[in-house]
Amino acid sequence: MENLMENKLLKEKLISHKLKVGLNVYILPKPGYSRQFAIYATQYGSNDSQFVPLGKKEPITVPDGIAHFLEHKLFEEEEGNIFDEYAKLGAQPNAFTNFNMTAYHFTSTGNFYECLDVLLGFVGRPYFTDENVEKEKGIIAQEIRMYEDNPYWRVYFNLLKGLYHEHPVRKDIAGTVESIYKINKEILYECYRTFYHPSNMVLFIAGDVDTDRVIKQAEELFSKQPVKEAGSEIERILPEEEKGVAQSRVEEKLAVSRPMFALGFKDEDITGGGDRLLEKIIANEIILDMLVGPSSDIYSNLYEEGLIDSSFGTDYTGEKNYGHAIMSGQSSDPEKVASILYDEIDKRKSKPWDQDYFERIKKKKMGQHIRLFNSIESTSIRFVSMLFKDTHLFDYYQTIESITYDLIIQEFKQLYNKSNSCLSMIVPKI
Amino acid sequence: MSDIIIKKLEGNINLHIIPDKKFKTVYISYCFHRDLDKDYTYNALIPAVLKRGCEGYENQKKIGAFLEEQYGALFDVGVQKLGERQILRFTMDLVNETYTPKDGLLAQSFYFLNRIITKPVLENSIFREDYVNQEKENLKNRILAMINDKMQYSIERCIQEMCKNEKYSRFVLGSVEDLESLDSERLYRVYHDMIATSPLDIFVVGDVDAEKVLLLIKNSLDLDRSQTKIISETIIKRVGVKQRQVIEEMDVAQAKLNIGFRTNTSVKDKEYLPLVVYASVLGGGPHSKLFINVRERSSLAYYAFARLEKYKGLMLIGSGIDQKQYQQALEIIMEQVNDMEKGNITDMEFTAAINAITTSLRGAKDEPGQLVNYYLGNTVTGASYSLDDLIEEIMKVKLEEVVEVAKRVKVDTVYLLSPKEGSL
Repeated sequence: MENLMENKLLKEKLISHKLKVGLNVYILPKPGYSRQFAIYATQYGSNDSQFVPLGKKEPITVPDGIAHFLEHKLFEEEEGNIFDEYAKLGAQPNAFTNFNMTAYHFTSTGNFYECLDVLLGFVGRPYFTDENVEKEKGIIAQEIRMYEDNPYWRVYFNLLKGLYHEHPVRKDIAGTVESIYKINKEILYECYRTFYHPSNMVLFIAGDVDTDRVIKQAEELFSKQPVKEAGSEIERILPEEEKGVAQSRVEEKLAVSRPMFALGFKDEDITGGGDRLLEKIIANEIILDMLVGPSSDIYSNLYEEGLIDSSFGTDYTGEKNYGHAIMSGQSSDPEKVASILYDEIDKRKSKPWDQDYFERIKKKKMGQHIRLFNSIESTSIRFVSMLFKDTHLFDYYQTIESITYDLIIQEFKQLYNKSNSCLSMIVPKI
Repeated sequence: MSDIIIKKLEGNINLHIIPDKKFKTVYISYCFHRDLDKDYTYNALIPAVLKRGCEGYENQKKIGAFLEEQYGALFDVGVQKLGERQILRFTMDLVNETYTPKDGLLAQSFYFLNRIITKPVLENSIFREDYVNQEKENLKNRILAMINDKMQYSIERCIQEMCKNEKYSRFVLGSVEDLESLDSERLYRVYHDMIATSPLDIFVVGDVDAEKVLLLIKNSLDLDRSQTKIISETIIKRVGVKQRQVIEEMDVAQAKLNIGFRTNTSVKDKEYLPLVVYASVLGGGPHSKLFINVRERSSLAYYAFARLEKYKGLMLIGSGIDQKQYQQALEIIMEQVNDMEKGNITDMEFTAAINAITTSLRGAKDEPGQLVNYYLGNTVTGASYSLDDLIEEIMKVKLEEVVEVAKRVKVDTVYLLSPKEGSL
């Protein structure tokens, strides 16, 4: 049953349809665009390190980095690899794994329907052998080494290790060189069977495409694939997360020109997803802008004193079972920056911002949201990651409008506490 | 997308308008062309100082508030290197008025950009001292921060080594030495020279009416222009060079093996398009020889690519490897390069490369920033190809021409960023 949603303000439409196999398909028509983009994603990421495998009763713990390893290996076919198929069609394929999802996508400017067949085909056709699994270890080891040398990456992952005691978000997505060597084809198949059922996945397409044809084609393709048993709800096991942060300060030495920092605040108000999470995400984005955005007093003070530069930025991550706010950048004196930020937070708790400022930042959020729809890739990826949080991108604009000043103040007081924060630093190796 | 509209404005300014209904924002970029001469550090500093404030918006706080009020308009400045020239850019991206209850956003953006460029905050008839000092420090930090991204750093170092005695070795953001001895009065003079004499191209992309844009720019732009300077052409070394090897040690986990080549081909040569195909077959993505042989077949690297520095006639190969596998990686990479020259290119490899290039060119039509970069490139090379023209020309390239151009590509410098002993 096709379902049409319209957002008059954004002048965008969204068609959704659930295939017989249980896969939810979404199409965002983009007339006038040369590119087509399709992303096929499973709600399975590095955080899913403990779960009950499909058809089993007892939970297992898998080696770190396995979701990412699986992503690499799906490109392999019994005959050659899938890159060749895409190359013939002229499409640009890629994939990524993050904490909560694994996604396979392509950008095409022609042969879209053929490319779609390739995408839905290879993700549904694992081919793991002892030999091809071994071969991948060298490649991924170099990927991990590359990230070890990347201070922007390190400062962030070190922060997560500081903020969380047990939650798997504290582990590197790609695992470690040691953990990936424990991976074999049997565990890969076990993960694949559990998490890659179409009913645990989403197909999202944006571009100037024929909606009916897409749905018909996908339906036919899955009707030809062998019927896979769908599990009931996948049982994922999360360790109990203690309150408070694991460490309030983390430091690593790397070959960098000057110190880098990331100051994080761990959110303990867990929503489980849905509208409440969406509201929380937007509220915190507004808060961060009001607190330390480009027109705040504190930003100007820090900048003019030479304590921060244009590398300074903020971000709020809100997921179903965890969340945190981050302020990061490069500075000659990260500890001083952190202490000034703590003071500012304290001050704002008793003397909050003007209502006008709040309204202005809301306008900025609206503009940012409209701009997002320029890019078919960014829109699609955002849509999918929001669907996995039981939220909908078309609700975003209205939610900005509905957020009240009181909610902002309440959320600000709840989250931004020194006792729940960690300062991660990268300092130059001499 | 409609065709690009080019208008000549008073003061020898070129206005390029790309009307396209599908975009939800209007992207505006003012691009001043400067020679990559001895003032290159001054050139790099000017946009950063101008960004700090102007009459009416004297500081970051006021600028920030203005941009927020304009529904989060994006404003940024920057400098990029295209061959032996620097482009000083002032860019805005604002939500199209049709999506906001507020009118006049576009007019205000042109007005704002003009202020930023022409009405800086002055003190004693030169730039404000504290702004200059802070931006000097920031720029120095940005130059030094190049080392933080090892892939980018190692590529830049490879270029610096191979172009040691050429202008092209100058880093786009300038040099720390120049900053330390910077003369503020001279900085202001260079700024005036930029306003008055630099070739200037203005780009506007979005759902706009060309006549209205023209009028808005005419009404807002207030530049004191004199005779435009001609920027000297980038020198493409065509003589054979002796192969060099450079090894640099650093405290890193992964070694970076980069190889710099002279292609002995200018963008203006008829061999240039075959060269584009050459680079794609060799290392332009998952369809390429480097990806397949260095990564997929030998598991030596996560990334291995080849790309052109098209305005300078160079090609760079980059890879991240285990130090212990250096010899093996170098051999396999060079085997791929030699195969190109021997003509060991399959029809499949050739077709895949053509497809990859045309897909990415067609795709550029969907991103305002990429469209501007493409047409800005034309202003540098003097070409007048539209994206569609170029796609058509790429599709005409023949395999023999690719093999032919391979003979021109010569190794210049093999650069290795190597982990210090015992650092792992």
